[in-house]
Amino acid sequence: MPPLIEAKGLTKRYGPRVALDHVDFQVEAGRIVGLIGPNGAGKTSALRAILGLASYEGQLLVLGREPSSQRAQLMRDASFIADVAVLPGWLRVDRAIDFVAGIHPRFRRDRAIALLAKTQVTGGQKIRELSKGMKTQVHLALTMAIDARLLVLDEPTLGLDILARSAFYDALVNDYMDETRTILITTHQVEEVENLLTDVMFIDRGRIVLNSPLEDIAARYAAVGVSPDALEAARAERPFFERRMLGKTVCYYENPDLDKLGALGETHTPSVADLFVAKLSRGDA
Amino acid sequence: MKTYRWLLRRELWENRAIWLIPVVIAVALVFAALFGRVDVMEDVPSRTFGGMLLLLVGILYFLVFGVYSSWYLLDCLYSDRRDKSVLFWKSLPISDSATVLSKLAMALLVIPVVYFVVSDVSVLLTAFIVSVRAHSILGGALWSPDLWLQLQVLWIYLIVVSAIWFLPLAGYLLLISASARRAVMLWSILPPLALGLIERWFFGTHVIFREVSVRLAGFPAVAFRPDPNAPWTGGGEDLGRALPSVWNMIDLQGFFSSPQTLVGVAVGAGLIFCAIQVRSRRAEI
Repeated sequence: MPPLIEAKGLTKRYGPRVALDHVDFQVEAGRIVGLIGPNGAGKTSALRAILGLASYEGQLLVLGREPSSQRAQLMRDASFIADVAVLPGWLRVDRAIDFVAGIHPRFRRDRAIALLAKTQVTGGQKIRELSKGMKTQVHLALTMAIDARLLVLDEPTLGLDILARSAFYDALVNDYMDETRTILITTHQVEEVENLLTDVMFIDRGRIVLNSPLEDIAARYAAVGVSPDALEAARAERPFFERRMLGKTVCYYENPDLDKLGALGETHTPSVADLFVAKLSRGDA
Repeated sequence: MKTYRWLLRRELWENRAIWLIPVVIAVALVFAALFGRVDVMEDVPSRTFGGMLLLLVGILYFLVFGVYSSWYLLDCLYSDRRDKSVLFWKSLPISDSATVLSKLAMALLVIPVVYFVVSDVSVLLTAFIVSVRAHSILGGALWSPDLWLQLQVLWIYLIVVSAIWFLPLAGYLLLISASARRAVMLWSILPPLALGLIERWFFGTHVIFREVSVRLAGFPAVAFRPDPNAPWTGGGEDLGRALPSVWNMIDLQGFFSSPQTLVGVAVGAGLIFCAIQVRSRRAEI
């Protein structure tokens, strides 16, 4: 089975600035991939290219189609939420359902209505009358009611309070995700999505710095809390990042020799958030 | 076809002014007929008076339609980029050409038909009220099937002719609406104004100003011809018969064979194509 997304040499320039620099990656069916990177790293440029919202250079196939020229056809099988609160304020919730049902061949009206029934939103309300969290719920209900092969979420909870954010992810996990879904998600809040993901992709300054299934991370990376007297020995094992914490130094290793590291201190698998900091701080350290 | 039906419906949901403005004018006319002064001009035959009234009301509606449709075209692609709702519309399987063409069809066909229908209703109501209040035979003149039919023919002809004549203007406004990052109103006026001034300073000619003003106001000269059977000269008893016949004035062949019409269609099609291209590449402001 070919990958759902296949990028080769994907490049995006804004004038002289290079937002994406010859990036190669693939997303296989059934994966839930977190695209994680600091502001301005190229996350949004990558997603806009994948969704056919912006021009790009290089090769890109999404569900076997070229997004730049076939966005409308692509959107029969892919759906996305880009940014928070983008539903038009003048639209009434029930009409939003009617419209998508009229336009989209894979939209299931009963599903959208069932999803909205779990919220405080009523059909006669206009989008502009809703809170930011409720707008997000409506958009998520409309999107989850589409039987899409690929769902792309770009910072879907940015600026929402903690209750709205958790409601968003609860709905996503409980009402949408199963082994047939493929989701590509970007977010700043790594901790929030960490246990949904099957794969992580770190992007920094227009390049992919890590692309790995989550289960491989345990084999590939280790962190050791080292006390000051063992620091010299720990450095000899060539950590790629060090971080001082409560009198200890946490050293991060790639392709570690766990037997040697075990002698230095307590080893553990770094969390995605810690690994993110470790990987992306390397250039500045 | 189904997609277009939903797209047009969506425009009516978003832009309630499409029918609110003509309805407000209609209500104002009916109020004027109910409470205004009713003078029956003794020396003007009622048929002439009725014809003039029909024509004036028609012109009023037509001018308001022109102003509103221009504003609509200038705003339609810009406003959903400004409020980011373009990110929602583009997540649906609707091609950018369908989006742009649906807005063009709104401005050039649906909106004038709405104005035509409301104008018909308001003219009938007004005429009925005036004739009852004046105890005159004015009503009889207005109901005269000949005059009534002529007005319908004039409206339909005007809708068709202006949709074709104003195609380049509509295309230009759509292009501005698809591309401007701000100040669409300025963008619509400044480029032709600047080009015209530059032309005048450097070449001392007024080709651009002349072409623009011909395009804005010149179509009656191309679409109509004088009625040879009804000279405006004469008076008194002749005035009643001097009303020209719309049938004789319509110059279909002249309009469709005029180079101005054909060049306008070509330029308009080019500008609309450009607007679709810009729309497919530019999602946000």
